[in-house]
Amino acid sequence: MATTFEPAVLTRDTEMELLPAEPDGALYRRLYSYMLKCRMVEERIRVLYRQGRFAGNYFAAVGQEATEVGVTLDLLAEDTIAPSHRNFVTHIMKGTPLPLMFAQIYGRKTSPDQGRSAPAHCGYAPLNVITPSSTIAAQLNIGTGIALAYKMQRRRNVVVALSGEGSTSLGFWHEAVNFAGVRRLPILFVVENNGYAESVPVALQTAVSDISVKAAAYGIPGISVDGNDVVAVYAAAREAIDRARNGEGATLLECKTYRWYGHSEIDPAKYRDPAEVEFWKSRDPIPAMERRMESVDLWTSQWKKELEAEFNREIDEAIAFADNSPQPEGDEALDQVYSFSIRERELERKTWEPRFAGRLAK
Amino acid sequence: MAVMTYIDAINSALREEMARDPSVFLIGEDIGKMGGAFRATKGLLEEFGEERVIDSPLAEGVIVSSSIGAAMAGMRPVPEIQFVDFITPAMDAITQQAAKLRYRSAGTQTCPLTVRVCYGGSVGGGLYHSQSNTSWFIHCPGLVVVAPSRPYDAKGLLKAAIRDDNPVMFFEHKKLYRSMKEEVPETDYTVPLMKAAIAREGKDITAISYGYTLQLTLQAAEQMRQKHGVEVEVIDLRTLAPLDTDTFLESVAKTSRAVVIHEDNRTLGIGAEVAATIAEQAFDCLDAPILRVTSPDVPLLPAAAELEKFCTVSADKIVAALERSLAY
Repeated sequence: MATTFEPAVLTRDTEMELLPAEPDGALYRRLYSYMLKCRMVEERIRVLYRQGRFAGNYFAAVGQEATEVGVTLDLLAEDTIAPSHRNFVTHIMKGTPLPLMFAQIYGRKTSPDQGRSAPAHCGYAPLNVITPSSTIAAQLNIGTGIALAYKMQRRRNVVVALSGEGSTSLGFWHEAVNFAGVRRLPILFVVENNGYAESVPVALQTAVSDISVKAAAYGIPGISVDGNDVVAVYAAAREAIDRARNGEGATLLECKTYRWYGHSEIDPAKYRDPAEVEFWKSRDPIPAMERRMESVDLWTSQWKKELEAEFNREIDEAIAFADNSPQPEGDEALDQVYSFSIRERELERKTWEPRFAGRLAK
Repeated sequence: MAVMTYIDAINSALREEMARDPSVFLIGEDIGKMGGAFRATKGLLEEFGEERVIDSPLAEGVIVSSSIGAAMAGMRPVPEIQFVDFITPAMDAITQQAAKLRYRSAGTQTCPLTVRVCYGGSVGGGLYHSQSNTSWFIHCPGLVVVAPSRPYDAKGLLKAAIRDDNPVMFFEHKKLYRSMKEEVPETDYTVPLMKAAIAREGKDITAISYGYTLQLTLQAAEQMRQKHGVEVEVIDLRTLAPLDTDTFLESVAKTSRAVVIHEDNRTLGIGAEVAATIAEQAFDCLDAPILRVTSPDVPLLPAAAELEKFCTVSADKIVAALERSLAY
């Protein structure tokens, strides 16, 4: 896809130059297998939802795997991901144990949030994934703060902050990107432009055709890439992350992609033209990568079958863990409001009797 | 000991905490070169450098939310909101993010930050430089809301807030900044959070307040002694959330009468919570209805002197309420 904005023009040629030499194709194999795993995990979650196996809702990024994987591959444990509600699968990239992710979906006591937030709102402190909230773009601003701390602490860590194109309409989005520009923070803002913010098409969000141009207003590089081309996404993200690690500040990366399903599992997405959906499904990032790899003898259908069998086994085990995990007890709702307990305050309200020392005569 | 104003006490607390702990840093509008709109951060840029005293862009949302992120990553940020009237762009950060982060991560992710907020009227500031709005934050579990009434507490509570592991909203009444002085230690000390104080002992009636109106309540108590020989017990809430209810319940059990005083609007102000708590937990102790002295339910505060005076709490209004309670 056409790239847009100086100085970071990215073409297929430069993309290939950016890739490290890797005669065994290890990078391509990892990009591909992670995309496949993300797809399988989310399709399984959708099945579980339709089977009524968990309450709440889910926000699938199916169709957007090239972006989810390309911007998060090879992050360090100490790097932070600042996710939105649609970036559940980035946990797979960070290394969050799959059983904990399914416990999150099931709202069990064993989940990272012990059943507090919502199925898709998974955070994971040991690997620095911020627990998401539902207020759009909030994670970007918190991400800038983490990047600020990294800079103050002289650490070479980075923040990858993800949001959708709808978030760019909020003032909060602009506060975050502006602040990162002013202070040259080590952060990559990824805008997953999947065409729709819930039901509203991108043309009603913004009058620009490439969201990356918004970077110009904040003095940072902006790049738009084909968000369904995992190699292009990875190459652009890698360059931006390397620059951030080297103290050269923030980047805005727009990945143009498409959300195959509705905003959530309760949204049939009837506001979209079926032909448009079919067009984007024909641009599925996973078969595209298969064709690319097959042309250089890096992919066979047999290998894919082996991967699928392995991932299905992992997913089955994770679901079994979630199924066998206890529900939180009701009164655990009183815990972790503060660093101290409020149980006594809430559960034991005592009554005071008069003990008038000097009651005034009426 | 040194004689300090409230603003000196704030400045002293910030300086000491920054010297004690390299993870403490300040961020806000005009706090660097200018030393803050009220000079709370005067001299700190020179002493600690631009990296730890950050003149932020004019954007309250990112002032607070970048502090949340920095706190998650191990820092102890002390963001300043110049006037509480300007805090609305930061409301998502404060109420949806800072307040809920510990809860929504089951205690695995936390943000120990102290948001310093200048509030309050009686300076002719008009509708957008006079608000109190403490209730917005009291109504938000996960936040500790502190509002000291005097220089000694301002320093000790600010130091305690910075060391606390919870997000703290620290309300400083602008009328207090330079209107009173008292002896304040120049050595390290803290005042405990979540603990009210008996600001004046008495046996006849309990007056409960915080912040600037606490000082007015003390004036009213003195008037009551001189006028009627009545001993008013004055409770300084100091922390508004989570509320120390024991101290005022204990007092009401002793005196049988309660008047609550605050500058925030009447409806769902802290007075409503205090009154409800007394009614629930000390009903048998009461000899009179619980009364409130507050600003009326209008946007606070209109600018013209007569309008402002009509709306704000005064020692005379407090005296009138105390007299009404005693006459019941």
